[in-house]
Amino acid sequence: MTKTTKMICPDCGVEMNHHADKIDYAVAAAAVDVAQESAIDPVLGGVLEEAHSCPECGKTQLRPKAPEESDTTQS
Amino acid sequence: MTTDRPIFIPVILGTVRQGRASEHVARFVLGEVAKRENVETELVDIRDIPISSQDAGEAVKDSKFSATVSRADALVIVVPEYNHGYPGMLKHVLDTNLKEYIHKAVGLCGVSAGGFGGTRVIENLLPVLRELGMVTIFWDGNFSGARKLFNADGVLLDADYIKRIDKFLKELVWMAKVLRHGREHISLE
Repeated sequence: MTKTTKMICPDCGVEMNHHADKIDYAVAAAAVDVAQESAIDPVLGGVLEEAHSCPECGKTQLRPKAPEESDTTQS
Repeated sequence: MTTDRPIFIPVILGTVRQGRASEHVARFVLGEVAKRENVETELVDIRDIPISSQDAGEAVKDSKFSATVSRADALVIVVPEYNHGYPGMLKHVLDTNLKEYIHKAVGLCGVSAGGFGGTRVIENLLPVLRELGMVTIFWDGNFSGARKLFNADGVLLDADYIKRIDKFLKELVWMAKVLRHGREHISLE
């Protein structure tokens, strides 16, 4: 199981909903530094971006997909 | 309830060509969208979008067009068929945005001088819209013989199109509502 930090709508201040991932190949093709290259998913071949939308105003924001964190909850 | 916000469906007139028959179609469709309860609309004429031809994509994004698409829950694109394809200027405009389109509905109205109602241009445009992250519907508007469909004042001469566009818009509005709920409440994870 994974968990990521919720995005907050810059206009409404409420938690946004992560509803899509989009891969950007253009960054990979034009990568000029280590930081850009390290953001490229080695399996998918591009930079993954998350799309989040606000349930109050509908605003959509993109952000680079966060590295997946292990859920440390033990059961 | 946030779902009380009106659905916003702009109508994009997808050609800059002089004497375009698609303009009458776009204005007719705009009027039909505007009649629907709790739906807002506006005409987006790509001729009015100041986009440079010196670059492409988000590098030449127009802030007003971007804001319109960002607010939209769905798009209607009125697209003429030129040599079986879509106008290059329409593609140039569409390519300037990305996040604004994701998980939004789109319906296509094809326009042609001949008898196929722009079916070929619609088929050509569908994979482009899919890559932009939009969700297409299974109803289209097909405007055949476009030069004879309207009088000189832009009045529709074939009333059958009213029923056809009503079916098209019912599906589009439904999809727009479903996708808004999904964008705002259904998590990918």
